[in-house]
Amino acid sequence: MFRPSTKSGAGRRNQRLGSQLRPRLVPSTCASSSKAGPARLARALLLPFGAAALGTVMLATPTTTFAQDDPLNVVATVGMVADIAAEIGGECVTVVALMGPGVDPHLYQATSGDVRDLGRAELILYVGLSLEGQLGEVLDRFGRRTPTVAVGEDAIPPAELIRTSDAYGVDPHVWMDVSLWARIVPGIREAMLDALRGARDDAANLAACQEGMHLRAERLAHQLEALHDWVASATSTIPEHQRILVTAHDAFTYYGRAYGLDVIGIQGVSTESEAGVADIRSTAATIRNAGVPAVFIETTINPRTIQAVLDAAADLGHEARLGGSLYSDAMGQPGTPDGTYLGMLRANTVAIVEALGGQPPELPEALSDWANRHGLGGRQP
Amino acid sequence: MTLSDAVHEPDLAVHVEDLTVAYHAKPVLWDVDLDVPPGVMAAIVGPNGAGKSTLIQAIMGLVRPTAGHVFVHGRPYAEQRHRVGYVPQRTSVDWDFPTTVADVVTMGLYGRLGWLRRPGRAERRQADAALEQVGMLEYRDRQIAQLSGGQQQRTFLARALVQDADVYFLDEPMAGVDATSEQAILSVLRDLRDRGRTVVVVHHDLQTVAATFDWVLLLNVRAIAQGPVSEVYTAENLQSAYGGQIALLGQLELGSQHDTHEGHTS
Amino acid sequence: METLASLAGDYTVRTVAAGALLLGVTSGALGAFAVLRKQSLLGDVLSHAALPGVALGFLIAGGRSFAAVLAGALVTGVAAALTMLLLTRRSRLKTDAALGIALGSFFAAGVVLLSYVQGRAGAGQAGLETFLFGQAAATLRSDVWLMAGISIVAIGLVLAAWKEFSAVTFDPVFAASIGLPVAILDATMTAMIALAVVLGLQMVGVVLMSAMVVAPAVAARQWTNRLGIMVLLSALFGAVGGVAGALISASGRGLATGPLIVLALTAIAGFSLAFAPNRGLVSAALLRALERRSLADRRVLGALEALALQHDDPGYPSEQGMLDAYLGTASGWRLRRLRQHGWVRRVRHRPEEGIHWRLTEAGARRARDARSEERADMRGEGGNR
Repeated sequence: MFRPSTKSGAGRRNQRLGSQLRPRLVPSTCASSSKAGPARLARALLLPFGAAALGTVMLATPTTTFAQDDPLNVVATVGMVADIAAEIGGECVTVVALMGPGVDPHLYQATSGDVRDLGRAELILYVGLSLEGQLGEVLDRFGRRTPTVAVGEDAIPPAELIRTSDAYGVDPHVWMDVSLWARIVPGIREAMLDALRGARDDAANLAACQEGMHLRAERLAHQLEALHDWVASATSTIPEHQRILVTAHDAFTYYGRAYGLDVIGIQGVSTESEAGVADIRSTAATIRNAGVPAVFIETTINPRTIQAVLDAAADLGHEARLGGSLYSDAMGQPGTPDGTYLGMLRANTVAIVEALGGQPPELPEALSDWANRHGLGGRQP
Repeated sequence: MTLSDAVHEPDLAVHVEDLTVAYHAKPVLWDVDLDVPPGVMAAIVGPNGAGKSTLIQAIMGLVRPTAGHVFVHGRPYAEQRHRVGYVPQRTSVDWDFPTTVADVVTMGLYGRLGWLRRPGRAERRQADAALEQVGMLEYRDRQIAQLSGGQQQRTFLARALVQDADVYFLDEPMAGVDATSEQAILSVLRDLRDRGRTVVVVHHDLQTVAATFDWVLLLNVRAIAQGPVSEVYTAENLQSAYGGQIALLGQLELGSQHDTHEGHTS
Repeated sequence: METLASLAGDYTVRTVAAGALLLGVTSGALGAFAVLRKQSLLGDVLSHAALPGVALGFLIAGGRSFAAVLAGALVTGVAAALTMLLLTRRSRLKTDAALGIALGSFFAAGVVLLSYVQGRAGAGQAGLETFLFGQAAATLRSDVWLMAGISIVAIGLVLAAWKEFSAVTFDPVFAASIGLPVAILDATMTAMIALAVVLGLQMVGVVLMSAMVVAPAVAARQWTNRLGIMVLLSALFGAVGGVAGALISASGRGLATGPLIVLALTAIAGFSLAFAPNRGLVSAALLRALERRSLADRRVLGALEALALQHDDPGYPSEQGMLDAYLGTASGWRLRRLRQHGWVRRVRHRPEEGIHWRLTEAGARRARDARSEERADMRGEGGNR
């Protein structure tokens, strides 16, 4: 189950219950040594039958595994990681994301509520690559006693990372390239299984979860592959000369590299730097020179910056419009299609492609399940 | 206040009744009655902390009294503002302010000009006349930061004079002032008195009271004694007002020894 | 580096510079009164206290409505100023302590609210952090019109009530005694400063806004002794600093505009404090040095004069060694300088003796004038220089 950061803490009571209902599936075979009596025999026979009965009752409930009563408590920093983890873990895990929609991970600082959540976590997942710039110390601290995994950093080889010229050295927005982001799936799966093994001693649970997670991970990998291909084909419908993506900060470099667009961000990679007059001017000039028809704002960035660029470009004689809002460092509202990783990339692609003059194709077969589940009737993009 | 309809004590220049001012439960002035006849030069004397400045400020509504009322020439002070001139202590202001002597004096007319009107030639003439009276006309364009203490005091006096008031309140006008300025100030005050105006001065120097003033109020939180200097400025009253604080009582020129209405020089 | 001309023609640069100019003029002019009233940090309180208002405006309006955010900033800013006022009037706190309390508590509340808004599950609260240091580069034309309107109102009010404001600033007690509504005038001035501060928030930010109110006024005071000129200069310096900051930040990438504006203003203030004639530190030091020299010269001339008098010979040649002993210091170089002025002359007395000096006629006159000048000074005429 994946729950976004609501800070209500209401759903976590389940964990307590689990420990009370842990019937043993393996009946005790060793009979007691000497003491005789039919009473003892009766007792000895009662136990396995009782257990079997109870087990049958529990097994009879559809799609129920024992792990549901005591899911692994996973805390992720950003929604993109949390969503992947929840998809893989299914009911074996409960995933909480520290940062919700519209929250900027470059600037986010841990609140005491977050520290509490992290304290209760049995596995902590974060992107790494200096994305969660202000959480470094906190993650360090918890890393010493809780398994903590930098899923992005671990899964993606340095050769495939994009270097930047600022203090961070590397661009952390790797989720924008679906093929790169798909690489974190095995790592997350293994991390969750390891954590389960370490924190739970119920072998049957573990086996069930192991099988479930492998299945789900594979399905997810297929979906991501299909998504990656779909995005590529969508962007290829944009006319050649209009394949320029202008947005408020350089969060889309991986997207551009993977899907054939030139990306121009007005600020630097991290939102900590302020856009200066020269930055706006050069971006306006670039827009005018390239004839880009649309410019995009992000949910985590001040829309006035983009508006200033548009006004400047208009004065230079080039009317560009606002192409819409893109998800850069955070996903959309939970419960909506945009509140998932797949939805995030889909929505971004649709907005970009349509505004730049292209026509996104239908969603592929592999994603129809997901589309239906989220109420996107048919396979309309 | 129903009193505002009636005229109350019209024969007195200043009539104060029951005036009480208390800061944080400690009274600075208590039950002060003051009756100043018109056309006198009156002094208010008392030890430090006696409430002399506070009395003036409370009369003029600059400090809110806990109790009491003030009448000037028979009507409540609020209605008579334009007939009262005020010369505050020289140290109440930062003299490093960027303005000239003439500008400061002209400020005295702002209340009368009303909103949006700029001071014009008539106002300039009035200001110059006041400056002439205090002997500061040649300094009219000087920066106030360049003035000596006495000159600052005379500027403040001129600022009050432009108002052509009937009653003037001055707060320690002769403190820390050189001899020339002191003379000039006293001469102006006497001139006002001789023309029938009333001058009330918070005075710091016990030695010169008898020689300078016709009328005196001895104040120490309460009004100890008030009246013509010749009757009231006695050793006994001074003892009451100052407690045991007067060391040189024997050397003071007291009221009963001097006729204060004519012929004092210096 | 682009030429100034090409920069000046650019839309963004013109917009940002126009906004900075208007902001500089308004905050400079109003700041002059604040500084003279010894309320320099009022701008600081107002701007720091605006932060909770910014967050509240966002929460209440539910989105990035600029007007709501500015209105919120104005409300909490003014609330903090009133709190400060109440604290000084009703309790024994002095202004600076009241200021610290008001500023600290409101700003802390603002930071808490900001982090709360940041952590909420709601998109679009992006960019509220830009209110800390401003995002001047993102000034839009609509902002400039708003600033122009408010500037006109504020300057208009100041001009209309000029004499009342100057009287209240110089001597509020006396102003009250002649019937001016001091409390209302005070409140109006505070409200106008609050308005200027709120305008500047999106350009320069909460943290630095106070500099825009104080620096131009401090600089202006150094150059003039007349109130009208001071307010004018203050507005001018504000404008110059604003435009300079905007232009400098336009010249290279990654140069934050708001802080550069403040740096430009501070440079102007620093230069004024050091080099203004009369009040500047450098000029004051020069003046003192000149005075010391003139005093020393007078001593030397006085010594020569005294010796001449004693020997009843106006042209009496004094041996240098004797002069040194009399003055207690080596005086040769001073005498040489006096010679350049034509006030002393070197003479040879006896071949085996050392240098002798005597007064010239001009020198004798100068010594006499210096003596009478000193006497006048001691009598206290003419006040300070």
